[in-house]
Amino acid sequence: MQPRDRQALLKLFAAYYETADFRIPGLEQREFGIGNIRKIEARHLNFPNLQSFRGYLTNNTPFFVSHSTAYYEFPGATPIQKKAWKGADLVFDLDIHAEGKYGPYALLGQVKADLQRLVKDFIINDFGCRDVLVAFSGNRGYHVHVRDKAFLPLGGEERRELVDYVMGNGLNYRDFFSYSDKKQLLGPRPDEGGYRGRFARAAMELINSKPTAVSRVFSKEKERGFFLGGVRQGNWSKTSLKFDDLVGRLSPLAATLPVGSVNTDAGVTQDLSKLIRVPNSIHGETGLIAKIIEPGEVDRFEPLRDALVRSSERMKVRFVEGVPSLELGGETVGPFKTGDEKELPRPVAVFFVAKESATLL
Amino acid sequence: MDEGLDFAVKYPFSDSARKSLGDIQLTERIVELAVERIRKAVRGDDSARVVFHESDKREEIASFAAARMILGHLRNSYLTNRFAINESKIVRGRINKEDERTVDAVAAQFGIASAVENGMMLLDLPTYLRYSVRDPHYKLINRKLFSGRVEINAEEKKRLVEEAVKKHIERIPTVKDPPDIIKNAGKQLVAEIPKTEVRMTVKAGDHPPCVMRLLESLKNHENLPHHARWFLAAYTLAIGMGEDDIVKLFAGAPDFSEKITRYQVSHIKKKGYSVPSCATVMSYGLCCAVCRIGSPINWHTLEKGRKDAINAEADNAAKG
Ligand code: SF4
Repeated sequence: MQPRDRQALLKLFAAYYETADFRIPGLEQREFGIGNIRKIEARHLNFPNLQSFRGYLTNNTPFFVSHSTAYYEFPGATPIQKKAWKGADLVFDLDIHAEGKYGPYALLGQVKADLQRLVKDFIINDFGCRDVLVAFSGNRGYHVHVRDKAFLPLGGEERRELVDYVMGNGLNYRDFFSYSDKKQLLGPRPDEGGYRGRFARAAMELINSKPTAVSRVFSKEKERGFFLGGVRQGNWSKTSLKFDDLVGRLSPLAATLPVGSVNTDAGVTQDLSKLIRVPNSIHGETGLIAKIIEPGEVDRFEPLRDALVRSSERMKVRFVEGVPSLELGGETVGPFKTGDEKELPRPVAVFFVAKESATLL
Repeated sequence: MDEGLDFAVKYPFSDSARKSLGDIQLTERIVELAVERIRKAVRGDDSARVVFHESDKREEIASFAAARMILGHLRNSYLTNRFAINESKIVRGRINKEDERTVDAVAAQFGIASAVENGMMLLDLPTYLRYSVRDPHYKLINRKLFSGRVEINAEEKKRLVEEAVKKHIERIPTVKDPPDIIKNAGKQLVAEIPKTEVRMTVKAGDHPPCVMRLLESLKNHENLPHHARWFLAAYTLAIGMGEDDIVKLFAGAPDFSEKITRYQVSHIKKKGYSVPSCATVMSYGLCCAVCRIGSPINWHTLEKGRKDAINAEADNAAKG
């Protein structure tokens, strides 16, 4: 990036940080990391309060700022063993991988669907967590921060168990079924907890809405009602289908139950000393805010519309590479070709400059 | 709550036990009992000692505390793990005979507080995660969860208590400068440790992370769950280790029996069981990295750089 572009972006970021809304419980017990080219170039920073953190961001504005999910007795101490770990938020990182610089943005809708299931079905319904903060990651996905006190002491292995659960690792839905001696097929009931209940509910829903997707025998209302009445009691035998056949036909359902886009590569959830982007800070690679999404707003949230730093100003840029057309700031922009010179709304211009697809004029 | 002296004798880690000790003095008799208590663990004798007189009872409780002092001073993982396993088995034997109220009183020492609702016994999720064993039966994915609570049954609760006792004892605080009688008792015990060293020398990267972790556990004389032993035996057979060497490998396990191990290893060999896939290892709760190789046996086809990268990542995740 041109030094001039860099300076201009940092100035805008600094102005944003003057009033940015941060919600960092236990701020003084957390380690902070900042970066300019790479995401984390310096870590082990710590701040006594929000005011000094904000002061730092406005005076030494970085491109990236993260905080530890962990709470420490001595957050600034090195090496890490001397920090005295006291607990850590339980975090999940959802993201998408796609070809090309702009490929992921078209797929963010899918990640959002996963996010909603993760938060509602797993984190709240199954795990019973309270105090859950959801934020856009600022680029290709979402972060979920669980700050529920009961979960803070969990160790790495215990967190891994939760990841396995969410991702369905080791799930074998055939184990849900057993043959009783009366030659009955016993299976999960819709009112059961965990994957069993989820499986039963999904099967009932599928047979109700698209009976033939499972078998033609269910297209007859009477067969279907008879069968589903049994399932409610955990009896899956009220059908003319062979048991093995029935269970086999339901196998595609099992694959739809877990949440696929949880990022486990970097061990985000089980790493007890992980640094994660500060919610409501700016992601320097996009100029987008890692925006906190209020509960109940997830449905309506569109990152490329709602995570921009608002401004009514316009800025002139020249494109240095081709860019496909995108939904950005609530309108369709582009496509642009190399050499195009445009005057754009400031948030849109900032996005393309941060992505290094354009340079300021 | 004070559950009385008999409860304290049976459950010497309880608050009642601590209270009943008061300011009791460490005597030679108590240390002697403590040494015997640890020796019993080394022999794998998990029969419960029964005492009748009040003063004997107090000594019995104190012997547990003294044993912990000795182990906290020695910091010998073999003795500590043996002791943890044996004491937790003794406790298990005892709670098997108790009524539900007493089981709950023991469980409460570790914050295990189950509640019965709509005919289901429920335990809060964080506590469940802390004390459930690495075994497919206890894997969360196979459990019924209701907004932060896991359904368990009375048997499983006892198993969780057993694990909690074990974990509690494993985390013995370091005792820096104990009285001489404790130091001497420690010396004596160390001299008696059977000399079975783990023969296999492994370098980081020789085996996939899941296998390395199991070998590490054996080296530290930690107990491996059944599935873990089975997996390790199948794996070592597949990479061409001889049966004798494999048996020696397991000698580090705190409840090692040469006869049973030999039988099991040759059984796996005879049946020609293959190494379980990563998905299966994961369902055992033993996978600890993201190798993307399908089966642990494929580790040997990876380039060194890739191996190092995977290990670095796994280390990072395990830290803390
Ligand atoms: S991915 Fe496979 S080889 Fe790697 S640790 Fe997990 S189970 Fe072992």
